[in-house]
Amino acid sequence: MAVTAAGAGANDVGPVRGVRAGHFVLLKLRVLRNGFRGQTSRIVLFVLGMLFGLWFAFGGFGLFALSAAHDSEFSVLVPAFGGAALVLGWLFMPLVFFGVDETLEPARFALLPLPRRTLVGGLLAAALVGVPAVATVVATAGLVLGAAVHGGATAAAIEAVGVLTGVVLCVSVSRAMTSAFASMLRSRRVRDLAAVALAVLAASLGPLQLGAVAAARRADLDQIVRIARVVGWTPLAAPYTAGFDVADGLPLAAAAKLALSALTVAALLFWWSRTLESAMVGSVSGGPARAGQAAGWRGGAVEQLFPRPLGFLRRNRSGALVAREVRYWWRDARRRANLITYSVIGVFLPLVINLSSGGALLQGQSGVPRTPTTVTGSMLFVGTLAAVTLANQFGFDGTAYAAHIVAGVPGRLELRSRIVAYSVYIAPLMTVIAVAVAVVLGEPGWLPVMLGGLYAAYGTGLAVILFVSVLGAYALPDSSNPFAVNTGAGVAKGLLSLAGLVGSLVFAAPFAVVSAVAGDAWRWFALPVGLAYGLTAAVLGCYLAGDVLDRRAPELLAAVTPRR
Amino acid sequence: MINASPPALSLRGLVKRFDTKLAVAGIDLDVPAGSFFGLLGPNGAGKTTTLSMAVGLLRPDAGRAWVLGHDVWADPVEAKRRLGVLPDGVRLFDRLNGTELLAYQGLLRGMDPAVVDRRAHELLDVFALADAGRTLVVDYSAGMKKKIGLACALLHAPRLLVLDEPFEALDPVSAALIRDILHRYVAGGGTVIFSSHVMEVVERLCSHVAILADGQITAIGTLDDVRRGRSLEDVFVEVVGGRVATGQELSWL
Repeated sequence: MAVTAAGAGANDVGPVRGVRAGHFVLLKLRVLRNGFRGQTSRIVLFVLGMLFGLWFAFGGFGLFALSAAHDSEFSVLVPAFGGAALVLGWLFMPLVFFGVDETLEPARFALLPLPRRTLVGGLLAAALVGVPAVATVVATAGLVLGAAVHGGATAAAIEAVGVLTGVVLCVSVSRAMTSAFASMLRSRRVRDLAAVALAVLAASLGPLQLGAVAAARRADLDQIVRIARVVGWTPLAAPYTAGFDVADGLPLAAAAKLALSALTVAALLFWWSRTLESAMVGSVSGGPARAGQAAGWRGGAVEQLFPRPLGFLRRNRSGALVAREVRYWWRDARRRANLITYSVIGVFLPLVINLSSGGALLQGQSGVPRTPTTVTGSMLFVGTLAAVTLANQFGFDGTAYAAHIVAGVPGRLELRSRIVAYSVYIAPLMTVIAVAVAVVLGEPGWLPVMLGGLYAAYGTGLAVILFVSVLGAYALPDSSNPFAVNTGAGVAKGLLSLAGLVGSLVFAAPFAVVSAVAGDAWRWFALPVGLAYGLTAAVLGCYLAGDVLDRRAPELLAAVTPRR
Repeated sequence: MINASPPALSLRGLVKRFDTKLAVAGIDLDVPAGSFFGLLGPNGAGKTTTLSMAVGLLRPDAGRAWVLGHDVWADPVEAKRRLGVLPDGVRLFDRLNGTELLAYQGLLRGMDPAVVDRRAHELLDVFALADAGRTLVVDYSAGMKKKIGLACALLHAPRLLVLDEPFEALDPVSAALIRDILHRYVAGGGTVIFSSHVMEVVERLCSHVAILADGQITAIGTLDDVRRGRSLEDVFVEVVGGRVATGQELSWL
């Protein structure tokens, strides 16, 4: 497919000038600039993102520089754990919260005669030009200062190389992972495998945190230092610890770590390039659908619309809306990705928090025994997180929403059907999560309290998120990557999710307070009260947000229309 | 129009501005009931913007729109009940297959399920989409998507059809079929307004035309009034003011 510069002239297509990574960077900057033209909200978002980036960059710089320069075990701990946390953050945050910025969408290069190597290099270079990457470099530059204090100019120079390698590692890890998961979730065959892989990834965080917290609680500094040294040899922290090895008089170790980092980057980029190709070829759907499958009719057209388990739904407008939404949560790769990601996080987050006594740590004191209150706290978080998935529910459908406007679907009905359909998946899932956590903790008696908290938080979360989804909708790119977002929309997505999360937790807080102060009788009241609380909140949210939706349906359509 | 019944579609002073560009600069338009109305214009003239505002998909900066006497923005329920729309550049709920999509549209319009079943069958049959079976609409070809979109617009038997570029991406056989269907629809008392920049189609089908350029109507009336004995293409190029190749350009081709 690719015509390289070397082959120019042979086929008489005129001289060909090589394409370098710089072209991609310039293209990205140009696209970014044009995107801002006349779009005040985008500029505001971008500036907000910059401020966040600045805060992170200089806060991180100070933290890294001060602690790494400190003449103690900190110079071992900070590069190792700080670096590892950073790389893990780059790995998980795009999958869960921010998505990946696809200003330069790979599929758009499919028709250009570019060798794969050029394409990957270019996209990587373009990805490096962005607020998160720059902020990471600035923050970790604090380590260079720390290394300089310990080992002079040589150590500082090596650490600088490590920091730069580190940011390339961070970016490639996030790109490779999202691209790989995107192509897996796209394919109808291996999407279940993808869910398992995501689960294993999330699960691997558990032991890591367990070890860390256990060690911290025993306050055995030697052991922590030993762990830090091991982590320093993993690709997670290798680039960040290299300079400090030089300072310790181990130049060979430093060289080995840098080589290890470079190898990891190379491997990730190779992996990325493989999945990139599949993204460029099969761009819209996962191959031809089950066309040959039974052209015969199962009942009439209306019967076909309703999934069999939902056969009890009324055959009217609201029934149709629910049936379509239920089908969409599974058929649309983007929604499915959200659903799977949530179910994985929803299962593992409470387990990790409660099992590793992280709950106690969150309270600011160690050694506090697990109580129904701390467990309920984690349940509140799980419940609101479920609602946050709907923050951009109108963005999922994009311009298809026009059909609802033309048909004059009332706002309240629209929102009600959407949350009912989503709850078809989420309510059983949440129940399973609560039961699983109760069983693993060996406290089945807490189950009513946990379930009550879960439903209360989910309901209040929905109430808040409905407003966010109507007022803060944004367009998603027509990309095959379910994690892709438009320029600047990563900030929007993160901010909206955060706002929704905080708002929901505020409204759910009364339930937690009551749980904390109420007596034993609460165990019997918690479930019905939680259910009623959540239901009331959701109904109220539907009622009020539906009104807003009626007033600004065309504006919502414009907001979710990509590239007006 | 001095007529007992109100026009099928009536626009007054519609204005829409995007950033600094004036996309639609004050449009007045009456589509008489029972007419086959062609809205012509070069790319970027504001056809889609005008039609979007007429059917309630885009809020105008100024002006009003009525469908059979019902204000689209003040009384949307009554107006939309009489309206069938095929928007251009708008996705369908394409993770449904054709049958499911029609059933969905029918129920969304508040139709009786039995009627939906019957009409969906018939529409899929007539549009030759029944063979697609359970293929999702997202996997349809461009022409098939147009056809299923049109089927969705026809399903509830509206009195006014607003079609944005209905003949784009259609092969000649499908185009002839749709011309035929629309003809019968108008003969049965319905009204069609559609946008296009294909002159022959408009000349063959329409009773009335309006030519749109730079967000303003530059010519309007019955087909014969606008043509005045010339070909529609000549009138169009003259009114819009196009550039004619001199033969000097692109000599390297």
